Amino acid sequence: MSDPTPLKFLVVDDFSTMRRIVRGLLKEMGCHNVTEAEDGAAALELLKVQHFDFVVSDINMPNMSGFELLKAIKAEETLRHLPVLMVTAEARKEDIVLAAQSGAAGYIVKPFSKATLEEKVQRILQKMAVAA
Amino acid sequence: MKTNKWPMVPGPAAPEVYQQLGQITRQLHDTLQQLGVMPKLQQSAQDLPDARSRLSYIAHKSGEAADRVLTAVEQAKHEHQAIRTASKQLAQRCGADPARLLPAPEVLAFVAAVEGAATHIDQQLTDIMLAQDFHDLTGQVVAKVVALVIELEDSLLQLLRKAAATEPAPALGPLSGPVIAAVAGAEVVNDQVKVDALLASLGF
Repeated sequence: MSDPTPLKFLVVDDFSTMRRIVRGLLKEMGCHNVTEAEDGAAALELLKVQHFDFVVSDINMPNMSGFELLKAIKAEETLRHLPVLMVTAEARKEDIVLAAQSGAAGYIVKPFSKATLEEKVQRILQKMAVAA
Repeated sequence: MKTNKWPMVPGPAAPEVYQQLGQITRQLHDTLQQLGVMPKLQQSAQDLPDARSRLSYIAHKSGEAADRVLTAVEQAKHEHQAIRTASKQLAQRCGADPARLLPAPEVLAFVAAVEGAATHIDQQLTDIMLAQDFHDLTGQVVAKVVALVIELEDSLLQLLRKAAATEPAPALGPLSGPVIAAVAGAEVVNDQVKVDALLASLGF
């Protein structure tokens, strides 16, 4: 992932530990342009004023959950194209189905490995490249 | 015999029913008092804020520990990357001048060994970083337990208010373990500097 124009990632999680882990893994994958938000509401505010190429979001968060953020992104014409990778400790079937139906680009269950995150991100980016 | 297909809709209860319920409640209250349950419940309700505080303490301390580990890993990775880059550059310089390469095969072997070890160390640092996700996972569980304790505390307090216990609660000592929050009237010494200062004031 060493494109001339680096992709801009937004990592959303209420736990700073998890934000740092995801940021560190993205950095190892060559993605150095990473911004953090502590919940869905903060992420939405950032999305209104900054351009991002990719969102990695937790689901269970205060103020605005990952599902609510996902729905808000998909409801906004200018943000609809943005891929959202859901990362959560909740592995309930209905949550996974809801995420897929709501337009999530992928779903990762915590704890996860570097290989899993890399594989999901690469797959989503490849899909985007084909669609474009 | 004709059977009624429709569910029975409960009508208003007769006054005798309320009277009987009142008697049962009174009997339950008296029995609880006789068994000495109310003081125990009262003590449990008093202990719950302490339990809640301890759980929050666990979440806070584990978060701090995870942050410290992540900071150390990030710094180590940064310095480690510098070593990898330097060893690669050294190998390239040695290879660029075959005349200088001849007397230094050990140098090349060393650089290759450093490169191999560096890759292995980097993987281990990544594993250490990923292992810190325990804070997120256990933190969510602790948050749910704290919410449950708050609910239990509310229910117990409501019960105690209604029961209006007359017996005094037995005097129990505080729970064992680290002191995590100052309670009214108690001075808490929770870091080494304060402990040393206190010991010094006592002549140690």
